[in-house]
Amino acid sequence: MLTRFVPDAVWIERSERDSPLARAVHTHYDGAVELFDGRAPLAPASVRDGKRVLVVQRHRGAFLRHCPAGTAGLVCCNYLVVNLASNCPMDCSYCFLQDYLADSPALTAYTNVEDALEEVDAVLRAHPDRSFRIGSGELSDSLALDPLTQLSRQLVPFFAARRNALLELKTKTDCVDTLLELDPGGRVVVSWSVNAAAVVARDEAGTATLAERLAAARRVQYGGYRVGFHFDPLVEFEGWEEGYGAAIEALADAVDPAAIAWISLGSLRLSPALAQAVGARAAPGYVLGAELVPGADGKARVWRGLRLRMYRVIAARLRAALGAVPLYLCMEPPAVWERVMGDVPSDRALAMRLAAGAGW
Amino acid sequence: MADSDRAVRAYAAEKRFAAATLERWLAQPAETRADLLDIAERLHLGENQFRDVLDDLLAIAARRGSAIADVLRAEELRAVLARPLGRNEAVKAVKAVLRRLRYPQLTAAERRLAALAKSLRLPTGSAVELPDNLEGEHIAITIRARSAAELRAQARGVAASLEGSAIEEMFALLDGARSC
Repeated sequence: MLTRFVPDAVWIERSERDSPLARAVHTHYDGAVELFDGRAPLAPASVRDGKRVLVVQRHRGAFLRHCPAGTAGLVCCNYLVVNLASNCPMDCSYCFLQDYLADSPALTAYTNVEDALEEVDAVLRAHPDRSFRIGSGELSDSLALDPLTQLSRQLVPFFAARRNALLELKTKTDCVDTLLELDPGGRVVVSWSVNAAAVVARDEAGTATLAERLAAARRVQYGGYRVGFHFDPLVEFEGWEEGYGAAIEALADAVDPAAIAWISLGSLRLSPALAQAVGARAAPGYVLGAELVPGADGKARVWRGLRLRMYRVIAARLRAALGAVPLYLCMEPPAVWERVMGDVPSDRALAMRLAAGAGW
Repeated sequence: MADSDRAVRAYAAEKRFAAATLERWLAQPAETRADLLDIAERLHLGENQFRDVLDDLLAIAARRGSAIADVLRAEELRAVLARPLGRNEAVKAVKAVLRRLRYPQLTAAERRLAALAKSLRLPTGSAVELPDNLEGEHIAITIRARSAAELRAQARGVAASLEGSAIEEMFALLDGARSC
């Protein structure tokens, strides 16, 4: 069983102490809670250092953004992200937050959730004919802090009452107890980042095991949620074919394919700064040993032929095990889509098909 | 400070290594630090070369789930170091071995592609160009000629060379549709 995250300390912004989220943290955290005014009196030296202390404060800025994976030249699924927390208590070797949050590494949960939901609501009301997929798992894990913050009690009822949006809660934990008390109304997808068990063991420190994630997926599926899976990053290592094959078999044994909203495949990619951060880790795991070469955009990826083979093999195994589940590639150009999927959707078509539960 | 670390610092000072490079060296386990010093002294590695070698060794060790010291004892590497090569040839040979160990499938694909390119028997003056690190979907064939007649003859020769199945296999390798 995954050890629930218990921070070494909790700091709450004094003016926010009566917010629902701060009150929930107070209730569910056994240790001493400190209050602060202005800036939290913490200066973690790195993203890794920032993971042990939870800061609870108001977010001053926009919550809703376009997914940063939507880069020119790549097929994009028009995903939106709502950032309700920053940093993550887990410590994956390949995590882009090591670079992305290097200047503001404190693990932070934001209190003004109602402001975030107002922002979301304004977009949904402005475009009633469009269907949106909105995720909270970009700058943090969607559920790792939920036992403390009970954030899902605010998010799930909000999205359950909306007709033109799906909320995706993306996680590597099995923290689903609170979700099981809520009615998603068909508007919430709980998704897991999944990987070969060997990669989970070596490169995803502090996360639930693959078996624990799949057991949690089974539970939420029985609780009325649709589920999603992200084989991302696919890591090339000696034995990857067997490793990912076993993960797919375990997935097929655990969940009903009819409840799967989508499955994505994404190859490991490392920016130069992220590659440096990975190389500096004491135990960089399989990620550093993959056959990565620099691409045209400066990011290192597994060389193209091997990357295409990995996609084809894994997509074929997924289809064999699960049938025609909605499947898509993340951060790949049209040429790779064409070679792997046999088709290149427009960004809009991909977004609409995923929102409607169809795929390639 | 152990004698071996003094020797590491002395080597780094002599070669004017940046502090960050020296730190990475000293962050390795004691046995690895000494092994790295051994290879650095044998090959007279400058800072950039040392950094490349260390990056490769770390990646190979991560791939194998082993220690750098184990990689340094790999038969292929020891064989190269034992050969009576000049300094530049030895550095080149060591880098080639490390690349093969770090990219076993990529280098196998490159070797197979080179063999297939050779089997095309392109006319003299024509050559196959593959993308760097096979990170691309195009194969180019360059033709050099000094006259229109020579160019036409070369083009006919190239077209004839492409009649066999080798070129199909080359594209299949680039696309990952076939592995070595």
